[in-house]
Parts: sequence; structure tokens; C-alpha cells
Amino acid sequence: MNAAESIFFVAQVWATIGAVVATAFLLFGIDRIDEDARGAYIFRPLLVPGILLIWPLVLWRWWVLERDLDNWRNRHAPPRRAHLFIAVMFVVAIPLIIAVSWSLRQEWQADFEPVKISLLHGSAGQGDAAA
Amino acid sequence: MSVKYIPVQWNPNKWKYNAVMLIGVFAYLWLFIEWTPAIMSNDGRINGQIHNARAFGSCAFLMLTVILCIGPLARLDKRFLPLLYNRRHFGVMTLFVAITHAGYIINWYFSFSASNKYEALLFANTSYGQLSGFPFEVFGIFAVLCLALLAATSHDFWMKFLTPRIWKRIHYLVYFAYISVVAHVGLGILQDQQDKIFIVVFIGGALTVAALHILAALQERRSGDPDALSSGEWVAICHASELREGYAKVARLSGEERVAVFLQDGKISAISNACAHQNGPLGEGRILDCLVTCPWHGFQYDVRSGRSPAPFTEKVPTYQVKLAGDQVLVNANANPPGTFVEPVPLPSGA
Repeated sequence: MNAAESIFFVAQVWATIGAVVATAFLLFGIDRIDEDARGAYIFRPLLVPGILLIWPLVLWRWWVLERDLDNWRNRHAPPRRAHLFIAVMFVVAIPLIIAVSWSLRQEWQADFEPVKISLLHGSAGQGDAAA
Repeated sequence: MSVKYIPVQWNPNKWKYNAVMLIGVFAYLWLFIEWTPAIMSNDGRINGQIHNARAFGSCAFLMLTVILCIGPLARLDKRFLPLLYNRRHFGVMTLFVAITHAGYIINWYFSFSASNKYEALLFANTSYGQLSGFPFEVFGIFAVLCLALLAATSHDFWMKFLTPRIWKRIHYLVYFAYISVVAHVGLGILQDQQDKIFIVVFIGGALTVAALHILAALQERRSGDPDALSSGEWVAICHASELREGYAKVARLSGEERVAVFLQDGKISAISNACAHQNGPLGEGRILDCLVTCPWHGFQYDVRSGRSPAPFTEKVPTYQVKLAGDQVLVNANANPPGTFVEPVPLPSGA
């Protein structure tokens, strides 16, 4: 199994566990931890992609809410200080990436014509491009 | 807004927002696909598949650029606040445009071989040790995964379930996605792109996003909410004479907690400045009929109880208020969300 196959295998395992969590949560858990969800079913399929992606976080929040461990104060303290960090990150990273990318640019001659250098089968060469 | 996760306020503004967005996307794609072969310098050498990939790719870049301009613009100038209203739909649409771009790329550059095309996308170029010829596709993959996560967790349920604090931290991934997109374009098509319109739009768009964010952050730092002056559990917010009927004074209590002190019918009430929905700044809203409206998405709260009017169920914490001479004091220990607090009358002559 090469690296790319391994990545896809891990992704499949992750999604499979996510599907199990999604089934359990949407059939049983959501009604226990969110009174607004009781009797509301149409929106539930919309949650499936999110659960597939972040099922460990879903399990953790489910456990916190089941045990009534949630601190309501945390719901009303938005992390606004992050704005400055993001702004500084943008101001540093974006010009840097553009400058590096620009310095790597390849300049082609105005009369450059593409040349076919290989074929899937048989010989290949500039003669093909000229033909 | 929704009640029991059933949308009840798809009002005309929301329909208009979505209509303008969709018309804009289709108009851009139509113009790019039908018109740009004539005006782009090197389009004679690419086929329809690549041209479509470029149309959707540039569209996704522009959409993400606009999305990221909305936040700082709204912080710099409140006239841009209506653009925040339905930004999530904008984001989900951007994901679909980006996936279409990826589809064209994968089905052209990574197909036609015995290898699985998705695996080929990952191993066709592994020159991670050099900048020139760097496998820029990986930046695009990262950005699409981020956008997918944001779209998949965009339903209101997720904000309530995860709490706005965790939800926002997840959604900060959009900033890393944008940097990744800039790297994807910069190390990708910018390398041999001769079209001046493309170069100006790409570099101009990316630098505009960076400039707006630093301007908004500096303004927030310069004229942000003042810290409340603490003396024990009671903290001074402002002078009573500074309060305006129907509006709030906002002060920071501790950490990221902010209180909004309102004057309504000559009486003072205090609630959390963070809306229960997405933590929008309630203190920037105005009271109408006892209710303050969040400037971000229109959620409303009674400033005396912190409760949304029925049938809505959202609640925010309230604070005890008292006057010490002309000073408005707030008890820093917030009451649980939805707790009624008797408003304090403003002394006559204040």
C-alpha cells in the first residue's frame, strides 16, 4: 500500500466510524441533548456531512451535554482577540507568498510554441510537433 | 432564524441576497467561458476542459475574496453590515464552485491512466523539497477540505451544539484556507500566466483582503470597547449622562466577556454583548419595542430578561445594575441566560 492508498484507507475508516456515530446521534442522542431537535427531523440529514468530518468532537460535546457539564458562560465570550492575530498573519503571509511566487515565475519567449516531447506508445520527438 | 430548526424567516432580503449571489456567479462564469478566449492572451492553447477549470477556479477565488472582505468592511463601516446577513450561503456556494473546479482538473490532468485519479492527484508530483515546481495541488486540496468542513457545520444546530466559541474557532479555518488558496494560485497558474487582468485581479484581491483585515484590527484596537473599571464585583461602565435612549454602552469585563448597558424608557438594563446565535455585538443594535436587534442576523432580545420573544427560545445572560451618583455600575457576575432583572430608573436630570 503506497502513501496515497494509505491516506484514502484512513479517510474511509474515519468516514465509516463517522457514519456509525451519525446514525446513533441523529436517531437517539440529539433528542436527549437538544430540546429544539425533538420532533424536528427534516434538518437532520443536513448534519450528516458534519458528523462524518468531526465525529470525535461530536462525541465529546454529546458527552458534555449528557452530563450537564456545559458552562453557559463560555457561550457568551467570543474570541475577538483572534482578529488581530489573523490580520497580522494575512499581512505577513499573503505578500510573502505573492513575492515568492512572482520570483519563481517563468518567462516564455513571445514566439514560444509548445513541443510534444513524448507519446504514450512508440517514438516521439519534435518532428511530431512540427508535423 | 429558525424555531426548532425550521426556518421561519426566509424574508425577502434573504431571497434577494441569494438571487444576487447566484446571478453574480452565473454571470461571471458565462462571461469567462464565452468571452475570455477572445481577450486572454494564451487561451488559444488550452482546451475547453481547462478553460472551464479556470473559470470555476477564478470564480471560487473571487468569491472567497469577497467573503473575506465582508467581515472587516462591516467592522470599518456599518453600512456593509447587510452583507454579513447571509454570508454562510455565500460560503456554501463557494464550496460547490471550488469542487467543480477540482472536478475539471482531476478529470483532465489525472485521468486517462491505470491509476486511481484521486490517488494520482496525491502522488503525481511529490517535489515537496523545492519551491519551483512545488506540488501546489496540495494547497487546493487543503482549501477545499476546509471549505467542506465549514459548509458541513454551517447549520444553526452546530453553533448551538458546539457553542459559538468552538464553532468560531473551527470557522477561523477560512483564513488558513484563503492563504492556502493564494499559495495554490501563486505557485500554480501564476507561474506561466501572461494575462494582465488575471494578475491584477489575483494580486489586487489578495492584498485587499490583507489590507482590510489589518485596518479593521487596528481600528478595533484604537477605538474598541473600553475596559470596565473594577472595584470588587461591581464595575463602573460609564456615566449615566452618556447613555442615549434606545442605545447601549459596551464595556469589557474580563477576558472576552462584554456587557451592553442599555437605556430604555428612561431605565437602565444590562445584558451580555454577545448574541446567543453567533455572538454578534448586541450593543451595536438599537432597541425598538423593548427589543434590541442583533446587527448581524436580526435576532432580538428583551433587554430586561435577555430572552428572545416567542416563539424563539434564544437567551443571553443579564447583569444587575445600580447607580452610584452618576456612575452606572454593573455586577460582573452575570446572571444565567434569561434571568429577569428589574431595570434601574435614570435619576431625573441625568
